[in-house]
Amino acid sequence: MLVSGPGRDAAGQNALRLLMQRLPGVSAIDGRASTELPVSADPPVLRSAQLVEGSSLRAIRVSAAGAETLSGFGAFLDGAQRMQIVGHYGGIPIVYGTASAAIRVRVNRRMVTWGHQPPGVQRKLFLPLRYLPALGDAASLDGVSTPGIVDTSLADQTGAFPSLHPTALLDRAMRALDEMREQVEHRLAEAWCALGEAPLFMDGGISGNPRVASSPCAVGVVKSHRTLFVEDDALRTVFGLAKGERSSVFRVSPRSRSSVISWYLRVREATGHDAMWGLVRVEAAECDRPAERAEEISRWVMAEMSPLSLPDGRWDKMAYGVRDCEEFLRAIS
Amino acid sequence: MTHVEALGRVVATERMPNTPHEFHFWTAIDSPVGIGTIVLVEGAQPVDGQIPRIYGIIVEGFSYTDLQSPLHDVLGHDGSPAQAGFASTERTEIRLYTAAVLRQIPEEPLQPVPMGRVFLAGEEDVQVALRMDGYLRDGAHTGIPIGVYRAGGTDAVIYLDADFLLGPEAAHLNITGVSGLATKTSAVEWLLASIFTHFPEDKGSIAAVCFNVKGPDLCYLDQPGRIEESDEALYEKLGVVPKPFDQVEYFAPYTARGITLNTFRNNEALLDNVTPLSWGLREVLQFAEVLLNKDDIDAKADALIDFIKENVVDKEFSDPILQKKHTVQSFADLDAWFRDVLQGMERKDGDSWRTHHVATIRKVRNRLSNISTRCAGLVTDSGAVSDLPFGSFADRTVYVVDVANLEEDAQDLIFARIVSNLREHLERRDLGVKHLVVFVDELNKYAPGDGADTYVRKMLLDIAERGRYLGLVLFGAQQFRSQVHRRVVGNSGTALFGRMDPDELSTPGYAVLSPATRTKLATLEKGQLMVRHPHFTQPIFVRFPRPSVMQGREGAERYPQSNEASIESAVLRSLRPLDPSITLPWVQDITALYTEQEVLRARNATLLARPADVKTYFSSQFRKIIPAQPAPRPLATSIRSAPENDPYGF
Repeated sequence: MLVSGPGRDAAGQNALRLLMQRLPGVSAIDGRASTELPVSADPPVLRSAQLVEGSSLRAIRVSAAGAETLSGFGAFLDGAQRMQIVGHYGGIPIVYGTASAAIRVRVNRRMVTWGHQPPGVQRKLFLPLRYLPALGDAASLDGVSTPGIVDTSLADQTGAFPSLHPTALLDRAMRALDEMREQVEHRLAEAWCALGEAPLFMDGGISGNPRVASSPCAVGVVKSHRTLFVEDDALRTVFGLAKGERSSVFRVSPRSRSSVISWYLRVREATGHDAMWGLVRVEAAECDRPAERAEEISRWVMAEMSPLSLPDGRWDKMAYGVRDCEEFLRAIS
Repeated sequence: MTHVEALGRVVATERMPNTPHEFHFWTAIDSPVGIGTIVLVEGAQPVDGQIPRIYGIIVEGFSYTDLQSPLHDVLGHDGSPAQAGFASTERTEIRLYTAAVLRQIPEEPLQPVPMGRVFLAGEEDVQVALRMDGYLRDGAHTGIPIGVYRAGGTDAVIYLDADFLLGPEAAHLNITGVSGLATKTSAVEWLLASIFTHFPEDKGSIAAVCFNVKGPDLCYLDQPGRIEESDEALYEKLGVVPKPFDQVEYFAPYTARGITLNTFRNNEALLDNVTPLSWGLREVLQFAEVLLNKDDIDAKADALIDFIKENVVDKEFSDPILQKKHTVQSFADLDAWFRDVLQGMERKDGDSWRTHHVATIRKVRNRLSNISTRCAGLVTDSGAVSDLPFGSFADRTVYVVDVANLEEDAQDLIFARIVSNLREHLERRDLGVKHLVVFVDELNKYAPGDGADTYVRKMLLDIAERGRYLGLVLFGAQQFRSQVHRRVVGNSGTALFGRMDPDELSTPGYAVLSPATRTKLATLEKGQLMVRHPHFTQPIFVRFPRPSVMQGREGAERYPQSNEASIESAVLRSLRPLDPSITLPWVQDITALYTEQEVLRARNATLLARPADVKTYFSSQFRKIIPAQPAPRPLATSIRSAPENDPYGF
């Protein structure tokens, strides 16, 4: 997932102009906003998971893993989001967000955009309508050529409304943008899985969508480890994985998400780096022979580590196909 | 227009902007374009109510990936190039091209090239791009096909404008290329065939004079060559029949001994259209300046030569100091005249005669007499003249003057005299044709950029600067264009470039070409040329067919050069094309009593006259000699035999 920050582009400028016509008093922000953009992340936690391979989590060498191995992945899916603070109304931040996702298919070792369904790009204004005067003809902002509006001041599950603190409002906007991106990604992933073509390499987890999570076509590769699904000795085992080793397969069953099998895989030599260096967590649909499946997919993931994704800072974990998606999304959104 | 699918898109950035004369575009990796490909841009926004169309030619190409440092690729494959081949994915790669603008429509206002889709130019587009549409109109077609432009499935005939190739708007052609790669001579042979086929009838007659300065390449223009299938297709496309030239006349001097013609084309089977080239005193004296260096022709010597030209040659000359009247018509006569003058001065014990000092007279005698030795075979002592048919040049005829085996002096003399005569006749409009192409190879040598200001160079400069008004067009060729006089190449409206030497390409004259174009020039295949023409705003690459005439090497193998044979064999070889019934015994019988010089004089006179009855004419050239009869032996008186019975019989 590509996350890019502030700075107002032409689309954001256009959205602000439309808003200013309906909401007098909105001030534009030139340049970078001083309000700190929230980081969209869950708190770091350790969480236990149910093993489905063996009785204890151990390191398993992936056989025949390397660049010579043919990868079974036929396509890559990634999403991107961009949040811009384009103006404010009495200190209330006016946020313009863009979420996009694309599937890039590998044809003759070169990446092209999947022709069956075009890349998805959504642009919205994120406004706390509760704290703003009536926008007048707000519906007219929700057109094809104009951005729609997402209300970031609705009550949460506990019935609480966000405060007027700009950071709280930005945090709401960020979460809404996260959801928007996930929806765009899932739509594409569902379409891919419905056709049942070659396995799809998804950047991030697959458990967020039941159809995707149960499809043998989708494989998720998670690079961030805010939540580690191991504890105690198992944690040490994962941190001690050498290049080309994976952990035993376990089951991940988060609340409100689908159950999938998962395992850790070290794709690069971590000597001289921190414990997370080159460590990814792979997610796949439940299956009858999880160990064999993990072995096969691990080989594919290892094969995807060449060529390098440099100059991206996450190149130790990122497949080149994902970087290609991100570059594509950067170009179109 | 044949373009259907866009092959690229124009791109521009602040650091790499488009201008009115240059733009950038990207294509798919497998796009069939390359350096020299002509493309068409269709703008997206109308200008003055018209969608702009921009024609360009690719002059530079770039390819790169998203790799930031080569080291990243090394790391990505653990330093093993072999492993790189196993990578599942190729890096994202771009093909980015730079094109030079050929033409913009509308032409005003001239704006930077807009963003838009890029298409491969079709045949009609190529005509518009190169402004050929202006001279390919029905009723005003002055196009001379030079070759076929090929790119991405487009085959378009490229035409030169006859008005700009052969005058009067511009004229002259210059060809550059390394030797031995079928560029210069082949291109000229092909282009002459194309000109003879396509030169508009209403513009009058045209002929060519080619100086063969080296090798046998131009010696078989009337013999069919080997044409491959691909060439036949090119000929058909270009509208030229693949056949040798119908009318070719060859001219070559004799060897120093005077027996055989000094040309690669002296095989008996090919002699029917070979004419000896021989000049006498009058012809040479006109161009004495060519043969005499600056030290020779000081003002005093020049004055004496003028005196001889004006008062002595072809006139009855008498003077009190001379022992007899002289009528000087040949070098031999001139030498006799000099001898008489000097003897007369010795008798008078004088230092000067008619203001000419004895030393000057001796010097001029020495230099002029020496000419017949230095140009033996070309200059005759006898004064017999055999020359090009000035005044009766025929339309669509090639006249080849073979000077390949001659000394430099003789080459210069031939070149100077023939070109001067051609110019004079064209000025008087009595050459026989209205336009004449003169092909000269090795311009490095004849019109060098540095070195002495020779008569030949002055004459070439004169043709280059004024020839187009007369219909005299110079087709020059050389290996190193940078070493040819700037005014000669500068006045050439059209320039062709074959495979080029990299050293030559590094000279300043080629700085206007992009590095990629220079690289392409250094690696051109046989049969490919880069063309510059006044109508083309950028050079164009074309392919031309192999000339449909026998190549020099093949001709030399099939028709080997005759060696210096006996005088009888040489006469037989010369006369048999005029009368096939002549045999060696007949020649031996006729010439048996005469000296070699007399036999050669008779042969030369016969060849010059080309009489109907060759045998009679040839025989009549000899003075009558009654064959010597053996003296009758006196009859010996018989010895009387003594009677057998007379013991005292004596």
